[in-house]
Amino acid sequence: MQTESQTESLEKEIQAAEHPRELAVDVMAAIQARDGYLSDAGVAEAAGLLGMSPVEIEELATFYTFIYREPVGRYVIHICDSVVCWMEGAETIGEHLMKALGIRMGETTPDGLFTLLPVCCIGYCDRVPAILINKKAYGPLTIGELDRIIDGLRNSDDANEAAAEAANPKKQVLKR
Amino acid sequence: MPKLIIDNREVVVSPGTKIIEAAAQLDIMIPRFCYHPALGAVGACRVCAVKVLEGPARTTGIQMSCMLDAQDGMVVSTTDAEAADFRRHIIEFLMLHHPHDCPVCDEGGHCLLQDMTISGGHGIRRYKGKKRTHRDQDLGPLLQHEMNRCIQCYRCVRFYREYAGYDDLGVMGIGSRVYYGRFEAGTLQSPFSGNLADICPTGVFTDKPSRYRGRRWDFERTPSVCIHCSLGCHTVVCSRYREVIRQEARFSPTVNGYFICDRGRQGFAYASSKDRPRSAMVGGRPSSVADAASEARSRIARLQQAHGPGSIACVGSLRSSLETQGAWKSACKARGWQGPAFFQDDREGAAVLGAAAGLDRSYAVSMVEMEQADLIILLGADPVNEAPMTALALRQAARAGAPIVALDPRPIALPMPFSHIPIPASEIGTVFEAALGTSENAPADIADDIDQLRQAMDNSRRPVIVCGTDVVPASLPAAAVAGAARLEASGKSPGLFYLLPGPNAMGAALFADKAPTIAQVVADIESGSVRGLVLVENRLFHRYPDRQRLEKALAMLELLVVVDCLKPEGDRRPDIFLPAATVFESGGIFINQEGRAQEIAPSFKGGTPLSQITGGDHPPREFTPGTPGAGPEPAWSLAALLTGDADEMPAALSERCPALSTLSISHLT
Amino acid sequence: MYPQVLLQNRKPDRIATLAEYQRSGGYEGLSRVLEAQAPTEVRQVLLDAILLGRGGAAFPAGVKMMTVAEDAPFPRYLVCNADEMEPGTFKDRVLIHADPHQLIEGMALAAYAVSAEHGIIFIRPEYEGAARILEREIGIAREAGFLGKNILGSGFSFELVVHRSGGRYICGEVTAQLNALEGRRPNPKQPPPYPTEKGLWQKPTVLQNVETLCCIPHILKNGAQWFKDLALTESGAGTKVFGISGKVNRPGCYELPMGVRLSEIIEEYAGGMKNGAAFKACLPGGASTSYLTQEHYHIEMDFEALKKVGNRLGTGAIMVFDQHTCMVAATLNLIEFFARESCGWCTPCREGIPYIRDILWRIETGEGEASDIPALRKICKYLWHAYCAFAPGAVAPVEGLLTYFEDEMTAHINQKKCPFKGS
Repeated sequence: MQTESQTESLEKEIQAAEHPRELAVDVMAAIQARDGYLSDAGVAEAAGLLGMSPVEIEELATFYTFIYREPVGRYVIHICDSVVCWMEGAETIGEHLMKALGIRMGETTPDGLFTLLPVCCIGYCDRVPAILINKKAYGPLTIGELDRIIDGLRNSDDANEAAAEAANPKKQVLKR
Repeated sequence: MPKLIIDNREVVVSPGTKIIEAAAQLDIMIPRFCYHPALGAVGACRVCAVKVLEGPARTTGIQMSCMLDAQDGMVVSTTDAEAADFRRHIIEFLMLHHPHDCPVCDEGGHCLLQDMTISGGHGIRRYKGKKRTHRDQDLGPLLQHEMNRCIQCYRCVRFYREYAGYDDLGVMGIGSRVYYGRFEAGTLQSPFSGNLADICPTGVFTDKPSRYRGRRWDFERTPSVCIHCSLGCHTVVCSRYREVIRQEARFSPTVNGYFICDRGRQGFAYASSKDRPRSAMVGGRPSSVADAASEARSRIARLQQAHGPGSIACVGSLRSSLETQGAWKSACKARGWQGPAFFQDDREGAAVLGAAAGLDRSYAVSMVEMEQADLIILLGADPVNEAPMTALALRQAARAGAPIVALDPRPIALPMPFSHIPIPASEIGTVFEAALGTSENAPADIADDIDQLRQAMDNSRRPVIVCGTDVVPASLPAAAVAGAARLEASGKSPGLFYLLPGPNAMGAALFADKAPTIAQVVADIESGSVRGLVLVENRLFHRYPDRQRLEKALAMLELLVVVDCLKPEGDRRPDIFLPAATVFESGGIFINQEGRAQEIAPSFKGGTPLSQITGGDHPPREFTPGTPGAGPEPAWSLAALLTGDADEMPAALSERCPALSTLSISHLT
Repeated sequence: MYPQVLLQNRKPDRIATLAEYQRSGGYEGLSRVLEAQAPTEVRQVLLDAILLGRGGAAFPAGVKMMTVAEDAPFPRYLVCNADEMEPGTFKDRVLIHADPHQLIEGMALAAYAVSAEHGIIFIRPEYEGAARILEREIGIAREAGFLGKNILGSGFSFELVVHRSGGRYICGEVTAQLNALEGRRPNPKQPPPYPTEKGLWQKPTVLQNVETLCCIPHILKNGAQWFKDLALTESGAGTKVFGISGKVNRPGCYELPMGVRLSEIIEEYAGGMKNGAAFKACLPGGASTSYLTQEHYHIEMDFEALKKVGNRLGTGAIMVFDQHTCMVAATLNLIEFFARESCGWCTPCREGIPYIRDILWRIETGEGEASDIPALRKICKYLWHAYCAFAPGAVAPVEGLLTYFEDEMTAHINQKKCPFKGS
């Protein structure tokens, strides 16, 4: 989780930069790391920090795969669906996860732990089928290994924290 | 000068001309969506494809005519079968997701997509997939948003952000899901947003107030000129059944280019306002124009007899046409009345007269020419509020690298970065002269700013001075001219551009000799020397600084005659009211801030709009001899009625007013 | 065993440390060059070595650097393209995890060649591990005096930072990457001006792929002729890190000489076809290349040879398909990738690729019609006139399908189903 001092050092970086907007992705990623996702307020905050207008930030935020403009779970599972993973069982992995977690692609489990998203080739074609969980790569996967990883995450300290937060009404809700 | 052949026809162009522009010189209109002469070429839509049959290495084959320079010896075909087939495919691609909205879309009839689809030869749909759809945003009261129709030409964001410099519209998302809108729903901030309706090639952005009120082919479209500021931008009036439904920008290669501001675009509702007075009033009761005029004549005569002609004063307007200003000037002269007073006070009058006197063909620049400036100096000028389109022109100069320096007491805002030297209006001239080196007096605390301005002037080759007349001392316009002369003497090609307080302030300046100011007239009313006032097309309360004092003065009058298209204001009811026609009904000549006389033709004959008579129903079946509500007449002909002098018509004006003798109406543009 | 150059320090589970890199001759090239060679000489060596870009476009690195004018303004930038999102490609990931200092030295040398003082490694967000490794090793290199101000007392200064992308394939395109670095939407921008004239912040910028930069220390240390001699073909130069995946027993990265035969890579290094299957086809260099089929099984894998058969070596990422793979379904998967990643700037790519996807999907699901095939041919042909190289790359496998597997497409259409389903 991003600490306050990390956000402060980000502000220092922005001040020191000759062209503040070159830090746009870093700022969005930092706010996202702190808040769990990049909310409307997060966009406005990023805009203020960088001297850009909110829509200029939104233009970037909605372009990139790894900037989330909707709440995501504590663990974002990206399932690679490019051609090599596809040949070696990505669809099976995907279906298994959807069944095991009880959600469809693009959704988050009600306990706020897991979000399932597709992703294009993550560059682990020698270890297919591969997935990312919070940008950490796992592969080659069997169903058994996948189950073990998910169970491990479910029972970790991080997960309990996440479950508590999911029940916390302060969690920001996306409004449009 | 490259010479090339397009479709077997030769054309010679200046270097840097794109093929699409070269073709236009031959009246060949190559299909295009993203290309726009003002926004430039970006090569996004790919619809302007042509086949270059002969040309330098790597320029042959299918090429985008908007991106490729026309080069010497090129042979281009726009009708080549492969190029035409390619264009047909591009249009098919654009139509994959296009909704079947034509029957209900306001863009129909002036839709570039319709035109290109038909001329491009795309017809039967073979794509079997689903269409992507979007949710629209409420962008405010002036623009309608219909994103399903979008063909992603990027014109809107290029205009809004790059050309006009406002930052609350953007393109979000990626791929075929891109979305043009605001961060959240809300009114678009740019005072030039209305141009989106003109440049959007489909019906994504359409004019909201006129939505569903008529289709393009229902309208009578007439060329006109905006009279909401001194720039005189060219417009197209779309009217139907005796009312203006909407206005569009009309291209002018000199005045406004391709765009107009929202104030001008939307500022027509007054002409068909429901409470617009259409009949003359005597003592608050309706009367015929002839009777009211006759009553006015006799009451004026009585006052004249009792107190002399000087007891009658006429106040004119900076928004009156030259014909009107001239007719009333003529009437005042002939009858010995005071006026017409056109200007608020001595300062305003002297400033505008100074600007008029300073008109010089060698310095005068049009807005389009101003885009080529390499330095802009604003002297007491606030373009965004006083003459919005000027701000757009300045922005283009800024985009090309011109520094902008504003000497102004007000916290003015501009849609681009600029340096602001905040000084009292009284010091603008001194500071300007100090920077020019023609004066030693300058406040020490801004020595650095002055130095920077001097540097900027030294480094420039085509500086333009934009001089306001709203808050500045009367001497400033002359100082601006002197500045231009000084810059010219040091080898530069300077330009001079005035912002004036009204669309025909220049005309008023022509007629202002020996005329009092409005302040003077009010003082005369208070002292009792003026007992009768004829107020022509001037909303006094709009600009007079002391409302109570004005009310008191008007209350003192023995006779108040008001001539206007709008309901009279103030507590004092006019004794006689004569309804004037609007510029849409009467037309007229207006001289803009450049000194450019532009004749506005009437757009339609006056009368109550049909929508106010029928309540939306089929036009009524009564047959009356005249058009209902057609009481209002051009203000200049009301002058004739009031003086009883049928000779007070424009044709005879040049005899009475030498200033007009060199103007030939038929040669004005 | 062919000589290992780029992968000589590769270990199974960790990076090669600075000390290990130096023991194998690392940073010797940099020291010698900074001491005794002018930037022009470095550019000439790279030109002579025929170092072709290994990011997919195969543009000669020496030529690119030569286009930075002597009197070009400062500051100048050297950008390392570590965006590696071409499906099937993972060699840059392997190179960074194997020998990060090789990349750092390569960047320092390339920067010196064009007098650039600012280096940026633009890395895809999925490679967070590699990004952290680089940040750490950059710090170590700076402490050791190989980065920073006045490197090794030479007067040449070079600062290196890592920039994480937000994640989009189009960011791998050079002008799009520069837009991304400037905090703009990463749409490409057609030259002129070229990035080497007006790139990042309108200043001269040279952008090179990770693997290309990793070759540079070795070329400067051992000479241009040595590099050319590494190749098996006349026209080739150097080695290539081939990344092979798909229906082979040992997918992975193998550094082999340019011009090695495809059959050798598959049989000798990748352990042969999986489960005894038969080779049907492969993509030789990432998703934006066409198919090589059985007739090309022994082709020499270098840039020239592949161009001759109407294909491209690209990134050298070989994805192998066997007789059970439905080529229509594989091509559909590839085109779905491109449809999702299209930046949306120009019409043919933004709309044409999803159009192709829709047709292929109908063919795959048994709803195809005979007229789909000529329609697809035409659409593919026209996508070559898009704004950048994305669309032509996207249609490469589709054109490959139309050229080599039209019979499979016809079978789908006639049988009204995928003949491979259930096999």
